[in-house]
Amino acid sequence: MNEIVVGIADVKFSNHPEDVLVTYALGSCIAVAVYDPVVKVGGLLHFMLPDSSLDAEKAKLAPGMFADTGVRLLFRSCYSLGADKKRMITKVAGGASILDNTNYFRIGEKNIMALRKIFWKNDVFIDREDTGKNYNRTVRLEISTGSVFVKSSEGFKCEL
Amino acid sequence: MMIEKILKSIDHIPAFPVTILKVREMLRDEDYSIADMVNLIKYDQAMAANILKMGNSAYFGSRQRIGTLRDAVIYLGRNNLIRIVQTAGVSRYFSRRSRGYVEKANELWEHSVAVALMSQILSRKVLGHEDDKLYLAALLHDVGKTVMGEFVYDSFGKISLLVAEEGYSFLEAEEAVIGINHAELGGKIAERWNFPEEIVAALAYHHRPDSMEKSDNAIAWLVYLADQVCLLTGMTGGFDGLAHRGISDVMHKFDFYEQDLERGMMTLIEELSHAKDVLGIV
Repeated sequence: MNEIVVGIADVKFSNHPEDVLVTYALGSCIAVAVYDPVVKVGGLLHFMLPDSSLDAEKAKLAPGMFADTGVRLLFRSCYSLGADKKRMITKVAGGASILDNTNYFRIGEKNIMALRKIFWKNDVFIDREDTGKNYNRTVRLEISTGSVFVKSSEGFKCEL
Repeated sequence: MMIEKILKSIDHIPAFPVTILKVREMLRDEDYSIADMVNLIKYDQAMAANILKMGNSAYFGSRQRIGTLRDAVIYLGRNNLIRIVQTAGVSRYFSRRSRGYVEKANELWEHSVAVALMSQILSRKVLGHEDDKLYLAALLHDVGKTVMGEFVYDSFGKISLLVAEEGYSFLEAEEAVIGINHAELGGKIAERWNFPEEIVAALAYHHRPDSMEKSDNAIAWLVYLADQVCLLTGMTGGFDGLAHRGISDVMHKFDFYEQDLERGMMTLIEELSHAKDVLGIV
C-alpha cells in the first residue's frame, strides 16, 4: 500500500491499485472522492472555501482551494486517466461546524451548499455523504477497490 | 480530589523563560545594543538552539542567511526578533510527551503556532499592525492542556460520552467530569508566571470571552476567534475538535464579515506552508 496525502486545497488522482489517497483533519473543509470502477481511476479533493470569486488570482495558483475550481480540476484529472463521468461514483465528507447553529461563521454549511449547487448544475449525483456535525474527519480512498473510509475525531470509523 | 491534584501539578511547571521577559524589556529601548542582546539570549541554551533552527524559516521573513545568534539579532528586525524569542521559549512547554487531547505532542504545538499566526492575521486587519502580546497569548492559549492531558486521558470515556450524547461542549464536559476546564487551568498557569491580567484572562477565557469581567479585552476576543478559525480549518488542538461553542458577538465587536475570515483562512494556509521549521522544533 502506498499512501498519498492530499493536503488542504489539493487534488490527487491515480490509477495505481496500490495507492491509497488520504486527507487528514477535515473541519469545515470538504473532501470529494470520485471513482470510476471500470478503469479503476480515483481522485480526492480537499477544498476549503465555497467560491473562487473570493480571489481569482489565488484560484489560478491553487484551484483546489475552492469548490468550483477544485471540482473541475478533480473531474478533469480523472478524465485524463480514462475515467468517464457517467460511471463515476461520487462521495463527500466534511463541512463540519462548531457548536450552536446561530453560528457566526457558517463556512461548513456554505461549502456543502456550494458543492450541491455545482453538482446539480453538472448532473453529478452524490452517492454517499457524511457531512455537517461537529467533529473532524479523515478520509481515505482505495484505488484498488474504490472504497472510501471516514474516521472521525470522536473515534469511530466507517465505510462510506 | 482530582482537582487538587491538578492544581498541585501546575507547581511543577517550569518557570516562564526569564529570557523572554528580558528581551521584551531590552527591545523597549530603540537603541538596544546588539552585543547585549546576543549575550542575553546566548545564556538560554535551549532557546538559542531553537532560534538557530528556525532562523531561516520564511516565517520570520529574513532575507539574509541566519547562521549565528548575532545574525538573528541583526537581520530579523525588532518584530521578528521578539516573535522568534517567544516561539523558541514557549515551545518547551509543548515538547513533552502528552496524551489525552492528542496522540503526539507536536499536534498541540502545530495548533498553537497556527492560532498564533491567525491572531496576527486578524490583528493586522483590526488594529492595522501585529501585536506581540497577542502573539504570546495565542501561542500559549492551550498551555493548560499540557497539564490537563493526563487527567483527560483517564476520564476520556466519560467526557466524550457527554459530548457525543448529551450536547455538552468539550469544555463543559471537562468541568462536569474533572472539575476544571483546560482554559481556566491555563489562566492559573499564567497567573503563576505573573503575567499581566490581560494575558491571564485571554488564556482563561479563550472559549468564553463573553464571560470575562473586562469585556473590552481585545486580546482575549482575538485569541478566541483565531482559535475557532483554526479549528474550522482543521488545525485542531486535539480530540476536542470542533466541540466548542460559537459566540456571534465576536463579529460585531471587530466589524468582521464572513469574507474577512475566509480570506484569513487563505492567508493562514499560505503562512503555515512557510512555517515548517517552526513546527519542527517540537
